[in-house]
Amino acid sequence: MMRDRQIIEGCAKHDRRAQQELFRQYSRFLLGVCLRYATDKAEAEDILQESFLKIYFNIKDYSGTGSFQGWLRKVAVNTAITHYHKNLKYRYHVDIDEYVSGETGVTSFEEDFFTSEELYRVLGELPSGYRMVFNLYAVEGYKHKEIAEMLGIDTNTSKSQYSRAKAALREKLNKLRIIKDSYGGNE
Amino acid sequence: MSVRELYRRELGKATVDPSSSFQESLMHHLARREFMHFIPSKFNIYYLGAILLAGVTAGLLIFTTSSSDLSGTPGDKFSNPDSAATRFIDIQKVSPVRVEKDTVYKSVSVKSEIKEKAEDNNNQVTGIEKRDTEIVNEVAVAGVMDSIRNNGMFETSKPGARKLKESYRSGTTLFGMSSTKGCAPLKIQFLNNAGSFDSCRWTFGDGGYSDEINPDWIYDVDGEYRVTLQVFRRDGYHASSSALITVFPKPRARFEISPQKAIIPNDRITFLNYSTDAVRFRWDFGDGDTSELFEPVHKYDKYGNYNISLVAYSESGCSDSLTVRNAFSDSQFFIEFPNAFIPNTGGSTGGLYSSKSDEAAQVFHPVFSGVAEYQLKIFSKLGVLIFESNDLNIGWDGYYNGQLCNPGVYIWKVRGTFINGEPFVNMGDVTLLKNQ
Repeated sequence: MMRDRQIIEGCAKHDRRAQQELFRQYSRFLLGVCLRYATDKAEAEDILQESFLKIYFNIKDYSGTGSFQGWLRKVAVNTAITHYHKNLKYRYHVDIDEYVSGETGVTSFEEDFFTSEELYRVLGELPSGYRMVFNLYAVEGYKHKEIAEMLGIDTNTSKSQYSRAKAALREKLNKLRIIKDSYGGNE
Repeated sequence: MSVRELYRRELGKATVDPSSSFQESLMHHLARREFMHFIPSKFNIYYLGAILLAGVTAGLLIFTTSSSDLSGTPGDKFSNPDSAATRFIDIQKVSPVRVEKDTVYKSVSVKSEIKEKAEDNNNQVTGIEKRDTEIVNEVAVAGVMDSIRNNGMFETSKPGARKLKESYRSGTTLFGMSSTKGCAPLKIQFLNNAGSFDSCRWTFGDGGYSDEINPDWIYDVDGEYRVTLQVFRRDGYHASSSALITVFPKPRARFEISPQKAIIPNDRITFLNYSTDAVRFRWDFGDGDTSELFEPVHKYDKYGNYNISLVAYSESGCSDSLTVRNAFSDSQFFIEFPNAFIPNTGGSTGGLYSSKSDEAAQVFHPVFSGVAEYQLKIFSKLGVLIFESNDLNIGWDGYYNGQLCNPGVYIWKVRGTFINGEPFVNMGDVTLLKNQ
């Protein structure tokens, strides 16, 4: 197994073996990131491909400070944002009110109840704007102000989209839980 | 576990296998894009252009020389007696351009070989090629020679050097650290104790490295990292040692107040906890009360602005805090009325409504927040008072003395006070619409 540094240096020289090694070591992780920003796997792989091309061509920009994996993730996230902007006009706009619903009683979920496929699917069902904000805030840990700048929206929009996204996810997960519970009971 | 934590934990580091054909397609795209970029070490469109150009030039040259002198002069650099094929000459001519950087190395190493050994009787074409690149890279040569000299030095392994290296291996470390474990982001100062050396290389285990003698490094992601220090001396001596650093995850204290625009003191406030990597919590509600529950519910006695803070602690004792200042400054008090409604034609409903039961807008009623006292009056256009209510839960159902009023415009007037004591007065008109 090649070390990160060998991979980085190899990729900087466009060495095919280092490029393949980078792919082998990080593609699964990066697709995990991209899939969070996509409606389905096909879209996620589009983003992943663009991310890898950016990584291969811009690996010299990696300063060596901070974790390499963190840098890769950042490239993928930025690519996902670009992809989102590019595809915005083609998207089917979902009426926001559809997602404004009363908070359901349960706000807490047990660990390991949902598979990661289910979590990805539920996330994929959100309107893409919600999904962007939710990912950037909840999973990536950016601040609303930063998200607002990245997405070119208002800070308050980011905040309200985040809380709506959260409410929508909560509701979808609750529904899924009921389905799973009753399914489990029949067995 | 909150939605946020659930996603962060389950998908933050999730991995997904790409489809089977994905890598092939990626490499295909990569090759295509690399071809369109100028990458010195790869054959690309610029080289192709150069080759074509050179080919055309050479072709023209040969065409003109062969047409002027069919036999060709023996001293001509392009005419080789046994390779009449022009293509061969093309490649020979182009090669110094094609691998510009490599040729520097090659030509220099060739050059030094020539100096050390003897005069090489290469064919004439190589000789020309060499001379060309030497001119182009005159400046670069000095540096390259240096590095070659250095490399040569490193390769010579003296027996003394090896002995020293072994003595370092047996236990002694080359460096000290300000700490070996801590909460992320963990800043560590490294101290190089290796004695005399000419250069050193720190590898921090997270993909980063440094050539400073005593670097500082910040680990911002939790995990275990093996940090390695290598020191080099010009006489070929080199040594290394390494140590393990543990970075604990830093919890994040995050919470949200629900409802977002709470009415104090009416509402029970739920504190939704979105903290991550935390096991213990301490809430301060700003009114003197505290709690250690995961998601506490709190009721405030009177309206005011409170600073609410949460400290979240992780298993390893790392902590993070978040304070929301003036938590209820967003709370707004308002009362608003619609401008039309459609009464039930089947009889008076009594005007009792709730936001859920009146989806058909059969009752004229306000939406409001933080209203303490309230009086609503409805007048006909002629000024006759036809409805009055002091109860927020009862609106006008469109009936007057048991009779459905005629469709048309009616006037409403409202007065009252909000719970913070602020009075309000307002009036407007509403259209009574006929069902079908």
